[in-house]
Amino acid sequence: MINYTHHQAGHCESGTTSNLFNYYGMEISEPMAFGVGNGLYFTYIPFLKVQYAPMISFRNLPNTIFRRGTKRLGADAIVIKKFKTPKESMDALDRNLEKGIPTGLQVGVFNLPFFPPEYRMHYNMHNLVIYGKEGDLYHVSDTVMEEPQTISYNDLQRVRWVKGAFAPNGKMYWINQVDKNADLKKAVADGIAKTVYEMTKIPIPLLGTKGMRFMAKDLRKWPKKHGKEKASFYLGQILRMAEEVGSGGAGFRFIYGAFLKEAGEKFNCPGLLETSEMMGKAANKWREFSYMGARNCKSRSEPTEDYGMLADMLKEISYMEEDVYKKLDKIEI
Amino acid sequence: MDEQKFDYQYKDPNHGHYRELFYTYDKEGNYSKGVRFHDDSDRIFIEQFWDNQKDRIKEAHHEVLAGNKSPIYYYMEKTLMDPMTLSSQASISLWRVKRHFKPGVFTRLSEKTLAKYAKTFNITIEQLKNIE
Repeated sequence: MINYTHHQAGHCESGTTSNLFNYYGMEISEPMAFGVGNGLYFTYIPFLKVQYAPMISFRNLPNTIFRRGTKRLGADAIVIKKFKTPKESMDALDRNLEKGIPTGLQVGVFNLPFFPPEYRMHYNMHNLVIYGKEGDLYHVSDTVMEEPQTISYNDLQRVRWVKGAFAPNGKMYWINQVDKNADLKKAVADGIAKTVYEMTKIPIPLLGTKGMRFMAKDLRKWPKKHGKEKASFYLGQILRMAEEVGSGGAGFRFIYGAFLKEAGEKFNCPGLLETSEMMGKAANKWREFSYMGARNCKSRSEPTEDYGMLADMLKEISYMEEDVYKKLDKIEI
Repeated sequence: MDEQKFDYQYKDPNHGHYRELFYTYDKEGNYSKGVRFHDDSDRIFIEQFWDNQKDRIKEAHHEVLAGNKSPIYYYMEKTLMDPMTLSSQASISLWRVKRHFKPGVFTRLSEKTLAKYAKTFNITIEQLKNIE
């Protein structure tokens, strides 16, 4: 078994990446990995339904954090996107473990035996690290769980080969070598620039801060369009995506704020510290939004809060965040 | 970053056995992280989702017993899928999946197709044909 330290983390992929870096002796905290690897995102796709509610995502595509993070920090990392057969993928994993390399995997959540039953959904973008094998059992470091877990060969093969949207196809990734003298400053600057681009500059109304305003506009119409019961369910979906699914609170906004603060302190940059404050306030506003929204989820057919008010709040948050990105765009680190 | 300590237990025995790591931002402008259960306000919409899911399963069970829908519909709800997910997981096109919800069509299905569904739901064909 490899001497791998398990740390619980807010978000599965940034936690995995940070743990892998730490294993190779490079101190990268979870917020740092999240920020450098562009974890932050927002998408609202009303015409795509996930579990009978519009699709909302606060995170980037799977594997973005690991790929971009390792690239910017100059680490020698390998990602195998897919295998032809399940057998081949399991053999590759075994070979890696024999060489003593902790290996990250993309898996589906639904059939994970150690996972809390209330998180078991058909969600195929979860990440975990395998760091040892004893007979039929694999040792798993899953950043959602407090303690390391074990999983059997058959179960592991099953979750690695689950079908559906974003099917993992046995995807695995690992780090060969880290560059301890990497230019962290440039990595942070690149990461921020890309996040600013993705959140404000892509000319599609469903992405970034524009997406939030689009969602606010729809939120206002939901009670009339779908009835109060369904509007409350849709609202619950937004809140669940923001708070529940391993987001570290407020749809990753707290993690990003912590990243800005850490970077600001490291490079002694007052601009970054200021933006981290602004981000923290926006994140607290998100929390407030979810407090208010939860009241409407409690009394499902008789909303206590006005949907128009919630929509206004969402709009305000979107402008608060936009200010952060505009400011970040001008900062020279 | 400061580590926070939380020691309160969540009241509902069915939920909240698992603690998550959360980040917070306080008024003094400090970020901190701590392992805790979900807030009560968070639990409301998590429970709403599961209540909704349970209602759907119950309703699907009724529909199947009344003969309006095929057992595939019930098992789909039971495994928390929607037609889209089921179609991609069983490798059967969406319109065929929707068609198989009709009891009349379901009785004429071939063993091969039934086996595909049974494998997706992780049950035997016998179980698929006769729901409890």
